[in-house]
Amino acid sequence: MSATTIPAGGVATRSANDRRALGAWIGLLLVVMAVGAAAFVYQFDTGLIVTGMRNTMMWGQYILFFMFFVGLSAGGLIVASAGRLFGVKAFKPITRLAVLEATVAVMLAATFILPDLGRPERMLNIFLHANLTSPMIWDISIVIVYMALSAFYVWLYARADLARRGSWLAFGTGTSERTLAREERAKGAMAWVALPAAILLHSITAWIFGLQISRGFWYSSIMAPMFIASALVSGLGLVILLALVLRRLGRLQFGDDLVALLGGLLGTFIAVEAFLVLAEYLTAFYPGSPEGDAVTRMLVGPYAPLFWFEIGVGLLLPFAILVVRRLRTNPRWVAAAAGIGIVGIFVHRLDLVLNGLSYANIQLPPGLPVGTDQGGEVAFATSYWYVPTIVEWLIVVGVLAFGALVFTIAVIVLPMQESEAH
Amino acid sequence: MGDKVSPIEALSPASRAWGEIGERSEHPHWSMVVDQERCIGCWSCAVICKSENDLPLGIWWNRILTDGEALDQPNVVRGGALEMHWLPLACQHCENAPCVKVCPVQATYHRDDGLVMQDNDRCIGCRYCMIACPYGVRNFNWGAPARPTPHETGMVAARAVGTVEKCTLCVHRLAENQVPSCVWSCPTGARVFGDLNDPAGRAATLIRQREGYELLQEAGTKPSVHYLPPRRRNEL
Repeated sequence: MSATTIPAGGVATRSANDRRALGAWIGLLLVVMAVGAAAFVYQFDTGLIVTGMRNTMMWGQYILFFMFFVGLSAGGLIVASAGRLFGVKAFKPITRLAVLEATVAVMLAATFILPDLGRPERMLNIFLHANLTSPMIWDISIVIVYMALSAFYVWLYARADLARRGSWLAFGTGTSERTLAREERAKGAMAWVALPAAILLHSITAWIFGLQISRGFWYSSIMAPMFIASALVSGLGLVILLALVLRRLGRLQFGDDLVALLGGLLGTFIAVEAFLVLAEYLTAFYPGSPEGDAVTRMLVGPYAPLFWFEIGVGLLLPFAILVVRRLRTNPRWVAAAAGIGIVGIFVHRLDLVLNGLSYANIQLPPGLPVGTDQGGEVAFATSYWYVPTIVEWLIVVGVLAFGALVFTIAVIVLPMQESEAH
Repeated sequence: MGDKVSPIEALSPASRAWGEIGERSEHPHWSMVVDQERCIGCWSCAVICKSENDLPLGIWWNRILTDGEALDQPNVVRGGALEMHWLPLACQHCENAPCVKVCPVQATYHRDDGLVMQDNDRCIGCRYCMIACPYGVRNFNWGAPARPTPHETGMVAARAVGTVEKCTLCVHRLAENQVPSCVWSCPTGARVFGDLNDPAGRAATLIRQREGYELLQEAGTKPSVHYLPPRRRNEL
């Protein structure tokens, strides 16, 4: 893209200042990515011992970010395709953005699996020796299908505008009435496929956890619905934030009434999430849980602040903001609520991983072998305080930078604004 | 498993006879019966397991849990009496093994004789099996295997970093018609190795007579390992 102006639905002429800022932004992302890659090479060379994970807490930050990003992706696409399916015209200005967000997010989710593997170089075994009873195989399959679907969906939305610009990315230059009508029908058909695919994607991710009878805290039929609800909160939250950022940058135009509409929808999703959380934990807690029970620990144990943060700050606060009409019609407040909501969902998932794993099933002393013998660690433990290491953080931030880079380039190359050609 | 030669041939006839498996059916289903009445919590079986299978520092295929207030403290039961038992815990070699179900690459699999095995050359190190196992008997090689001596001690090949390992019921010894090392080495004879498909065999008989139980039966994993409960003595 050498053009300094954006024709056909173009919004702004990029000034030299903007170009410098963009260059600095991309440079920063590349540096962060390089640091993350170096951290990954170090981890690959040394083993997962450089993470905070041990036998007593065998999954950690990578899996957490995997499921968080699957949620971000599913949420964005559910909102976009449901809007299309049910003919919500008002969503149109953000549909492209939502589909792009979903595509980038699922790419990141897939990337986060890699550093979690002890032997990433054997990854092909997943395809060579796939075990069809493993929910992980189901999930990897749906991630691949979904990634292809959503990438195609993005292209479909952008094709006509790309063709008008004469970009080779359009794979053809047809913008006749008939072509456009056919494309509209294809978009409608894609919504029929994308919506169930997005729901399936996140349900299967939930089933990785929820089907394990060994983890009483996870073993619940509400896991999939709860994952969908939290996906809707975080996914829509991120779409709102990105839309507002792009509007400020002049890449996208829409009115404040759409922000209020999305804010109201977000508030509804938060209420559904809160309802499912209450239904789940009340059922588990009411019979009078035995000492050391996972739900009791979640409410009053060492990780309890996370749970109360999730309820108070993550769910109640944004709901309280969004339920007030005067605040909902103010984009700043909606953005704040969306940001807090995303953090709340992240903490919710963190809590889910920590409470599901960090306590041995059989709570007899001395417990499980922790798995390493360095640094004066206690050899056995019945519970474990997991803190991600700097290596884990560098890798995670590196992957996030990769996502930001892909998103930035996509926003530059693909027209985000639907042209008013017809 | 490895290319090492078992020194079982070098044993004296008496030692060989001591560790022999004994009667078995045509298609055995191997089982371990652990007698909690006899177990004195000495950890001998855990230690010999470490040397037999060349377990690196920090890795334990077999460990002894204390059913007490703490590792070295008895429970105070009703009436002020003291009670303390042990629960030797290793892979339960479940018939309905959750680890076999979830392994994405079939690195964990069943043998016809009931053993749950781990292929460390195929394992991708995702640790899903450790999530699925209700017993917490699987160990991950977090770093390169570390040993207190420069020598490998075991009768089997070492496992690589980044893969999961666990009890094999000393599969290399079974091939020589010898019981697992934790069985012959137990000073109180608390472990019995045998064939569940032989209803008249010692293992099956003990389970029947002593009301043997399965650990975490509610998980429905159908373990091949059975426990014989300690008999209660309420007065001296």
